[in-house]
Amino acid sequence: MSHLFSQSAWLLPCYALLGAILALPWSPGFIRKTGPRPAGYINAIMTFTAFGHSLLALVETWNQPPQALSFAWLNAPGLNISLDLEISTVALGACVLITGLNLLAQIYAIAYLEMDWGWARFYSLVGLFEAGMCLLVLCNSLFFSYVVLEILTLGTYLIVGIWYNQSLVVTGARDAFLTKRVGDLILLMAVVALLPLSGTWNFTELTAWAKTADLDPTLATLLALALVSGPIAKCAQFPFHLWLDEAMEGPYPATILRNTIIVSTGAWVLIKVQPILALSPLGSSVVVAVGAATAVGASLISIAQIDVKRVLSYLTSAYMGLVFVAVGIGENHAALVLLLTYAIAMALMVMSTGGIVLNNITQNLTQYGGLWSRRPLSGISLIIAGLSLIAMPPLGGFWSLVEISDALWQSRPLLFGVVLAVNGFVAFSVTRLFGLMFGGKLTDFTRRSPEGLWLLVLPMMLLAGFALHLPLLLAQWQLLPDWASLNRFVAVLMTWSSLAGIGFGALVYLNPNWEKPVRLNPQALQDFFAYDFYTPQLYKATVVFAVDRISKLIYWVDRYIVDGTVNLVGFATLFGGESLKYNTTGQSQFYILSIVLSVAVFVILASFPYLSQFATIGF
Amino acid sequence: MLSALILVPLVAAIVVGFTKSGQTARTLALSTAGLLFVWTLWLLFQFDLSDTGLQFSEYLTWAEPIGLSYSLGTDGLSMPLLILNALLTGVVVYSSKANTPRASLYYALILLVNAGVAGAFLAQNLLLFVLFFELELIPVYLLIAIWGGEKRGYAAMKFLLYTALSGILILAAFLGVAWLSGSFSFDYDSISTENLPLRAQLILLTVLLVGLGIKIPLVPLHTWSPDAYVEASPPVAILLGGILAKLGTYGLVRFGLQMFPNTWSVIAPGLALIGAISVMYGSLNAIAQNDIKRMVAYSSIGHMGYVLVAAAAGTDLSVLGAVAQMVAHGLILALLFNLVGIVEDKVGTRELQLLNGLMNPVRGLPLVSGLLVMAGMASAGIPGLVGFAAEFIVFQGSFPIFPIPTLVCILSSGLTAVYFVILLNRTCFGKLNNELAYYDRLSWSERVPALVLSAIVLFLGIQPNWLIRWMEPTATMLASTLQPTQEIVAQNVTQR
Repeated sequence: MSHLFSQSAWLLPCYALLGAILALPWSPGFIRKTGPRPAGYINAIMTFTAFGHSLLALVETWNQPPQALSFAWLNAPGLNISLDLEISTVALGACVLITGLNLLAQIYAIAYLEMDWGWARFYSLVGLFEAGMCLLVLCNSLFFSYVVLEILTLGTYLIVGIWYNQSLVVTGARDAFLTKRVGDLILLMAVVALLPLSGTWNFTELTAWAKTADLDPTLATLLALALVSGPIAKCAQFPFHLWLDEAMEGPYPATILRNTIIVSTGAWVLIKVQPILALSPLGSSVVVAVGAATAVGASLISIAQIDVKRVLSYLTSAYMGLVFVAVGIGENHAALVLLLTYAIAMALMVMSTGGIVLNNITQNLTQYGGLWSRRPLSGISLIIAGLSLIAMPPLGGFWSLVEISDALWQSRPLLFGVVLAVNGFVAFSVTRLFGLMFGGKLTDFTRRSPEGLWLLVLPMMLLAGFALHLPLLLAQWQLLPDWASLNRFVAVLMTWSSLAGIGFGALVYLNPNWEKPVRLNPQALQDFFAYDFYTPQLYKATVVFAVDRISKLIYWVDRYIVDGTVNLVGFATLFGGESLKYNTTGQSQFYILSIVLSVAVFVILASFPYLSQFATIGF
Repeated sequence: MLSALILVPLVAAIVVGFTKSGQTARTLALSTAGLLFVWTLWLLFQFDLSDTGLQFSEYLTWAEPIGLSYSLGTDGLSMPLLILNALLTGVVVYSSKANTPRASLYYALILLVNAGVAGAFLAQNLLLFVLFFELELIPVYLLIAIWGGEKRGYAAMKFLLYTALSGILILAAFLGVAWLSGSFSFDYDSISTENLPLRAQLILLTVLLVGLGIKIPLVPLHTWSPDAYVEASPPVAILLGGILAKLGTYGLVRFGLQMFPNTWSVIAPGLALIGAISVMYGSLNAIAQNDIKRMVAYSSIGHMGYVLVAAAAGTDLSVLGAVAQMVAHGLILALLFNLVGIVEDKVGTRELQLLNGLMNPVRGLPLVSGLLVMAGMASAGIPGLVGFAAEFIVFQGSFPIFPIPTLVCILSSGLTAVYFVILLNRTCFGKLNNELAYYDRLSWSERVPALVLSAIVLFLGIQPNWLIRWMEPTATMLASTLQPTQEIVAQNVTQR
């Protein structure tokens, strides 16, 4: 079998990058004649090419061993960095997912951003993201993983800031950038510290090294914690979760990508470094603890949000938390399958709500209602998305969640409880979302709400169909957990938790007799969730406050102490000169006096040793 | 061949100084800079990468009784800086306003500075170095004092006093080294500190480092630089921060590391600490600024700390990183000052509170904003741009020797991101004030310097090999002379 397509898989990031570069001339308005649209079409074509290529390459590598490619990047004494690629089935599968979702999102964006003037910038950045993500999944080097994560951090800043003239967008972009950057830099520390220990950044070699490595426990823990912090920030885990929520100020088509595959980049790196994390028991526990806390916390917060996009963003954090739990206990395979099923479901969920936000002008859930009669296609898509997100047989999410629960059931019953509860909360939250949007009576905002342009509906329906067929594909790819060895009890419990969540959700939000808006008692508890555990205030009171005050203090020191001393010296010199000039009186007696005095002082100083000798003899 | 790099700008400076029309002066200066750039590039292609020693050496006896000789040569340390010097001189001349008053004097002074800097990089004799080092002093003073901003007198005087002091200290250290070691010549190769008592070496090195530290500038000797950078016109600021500051860092490696191999490892931990503090201090100060030019000035102080940490560590990789960081910093700082200058010129203010929404594609400055994002991110060390390549080599090279200062440096590069985000959010993002936003359009000639510099920053970031290959043999040679430090490395490795 020929390896033409898999050998040239390094082209996958290049297509998207080329698209991104080609779109640039439209951005500051070098090309005005055509309007900005060609930028989008070029990118869509490039993405389609990449999608086709990755699909062909995937077919080629099916059941084949991974191939390695290597490109030298930097040659310095004692530091040879090469870009190692590993063309494996998993990586190419991820590429198919990335390019496929990108293609759908780009088509979606053609309609969504129809009237927008930021086309070129948007498509260019989407292209950058696609290139970065393809490179990330293909590359087999921790160093380049860091490089990609860091570049995508910049990309997030710019893509969230597409509508930069709104103040919330500006702060959102800033917080997204800085939060992720903090995580990236701690990851960089780990990257720098790891090389002298392991001698390599290649993941395959690192895995081999980790098996035999004999590290000091403290060092191993520090290393693990530093390695984890990058993914924590990327995946919007506690306490770095706020940026994802604020990033929702960006355009919706970007959210399709951000909520699904961009956050997954962090999880991907986490899976790759898992063997090193396993060196430190504390490191793994931290991963599990952070994941579990985020999963529970974020799913509860999502129930209390009244902004559609924020509901979705906290669900994202919650699911990434579950992935963290899976990686923390070493279930990398389950984590990968969960990433796949989650990405499809969440992308569909974002798409199905996006069209509604677009022509109902509001993102406020309390102003929606009765859309089922107006937009059945969106409604069906949201139902499919919700069901394939949670553990509801036979759709995708069921299988991945059950696989994780099965692994936890025996060893960590408490964590199993967490997954069970989170699944229920998510089911409740999604039902609430559906109920508030599609159930109830029509409101002023929803009265006129037809389905959107075909460019919005087509990708949504395609993805809905794909989500429905996902279990079949998983079975075909032998990614489903083995039914014979699976704990049926766990599967049933998970299903019941979903049903309970949906049931309660329906009882509250699809029931016209239940008073809306729903109030939680006491009010303080509701506020606690609605205001996101008061994390913004926490940031403001701690990190932001500290940096602000310290920098002001340092600047004060610089101006008044460091520079002040210099100016004082200058001033003293000036003052000295000014006052001494009155000594130039012209009287020769005065000059003679000063000469005599100086000579006397000099003589005394010069003969001081003798004088002191004399003095000691005298006494 | 090397003399041309000094003589051509000197002669050109004299000719330019006597031209009547500003336009002729500009054209002449620009063609001189272009010629110099092409010449250095040609030298670069003749440069033998397998040779760790001096190349293209020239020697003339000059004033033998005092040990001064006209001895020139270049190696992997000075060659990249020579190219930077020629390139940035071109940028400075090109980006100077066409209607600069007293243009012939202005361009003549810039060429003089170029000659002085090139001479200092090329000199292979301590006295010759001091001579060239002092040669740039007065021209730069005049450039700030005549064409500067509001408080130019104060800033120029501060610069003059500080730099004069720095020159005196460096000269004192050189004289001390020569006399104490009983050498009759000041040529680099005949000077050796190995036989001096350790205490004498320490004192001399400290004096030298204070002198160089003023020039670099290092905290707490830096206070002349924010004022000088801000008050100087943007092209002169490029000259100051992009090229002149490199004299200090060049001296750090050439004289500190190369001349005092025994003592270097003794003071290295202290230097690394000062470097880390400089980085932190510069970044924190930059966060507190309201003036974007001052912000960039403090950012520059911060970035010089990386060079110090890397030079202190003294491994082959870290010395390489130090040289790479010099070039990277020169390029990025030049780009930043150029863009900030354009913003000030078009919008009429540098205040963060007044700037807003320049990304607006219709009435703002979209291209400048885009490039400003790139320059800021290059300075903050985002991969794919030259700043990251240099900083990463610094980090990786210094970490085995000085883990804590290196980690502090990495942390501070997070602070770099903080102030650049503040700058970008206020300047490029936000709503453009429709009442005030009637800015002149940018002409293509105004865009050229920024575009050229951006292209280089991007290219060297993607292909850092092109940056470091010239420096590598010399860096390795320099590090190998530092025997004690290498032993410390060996110990550290075996301990693990």
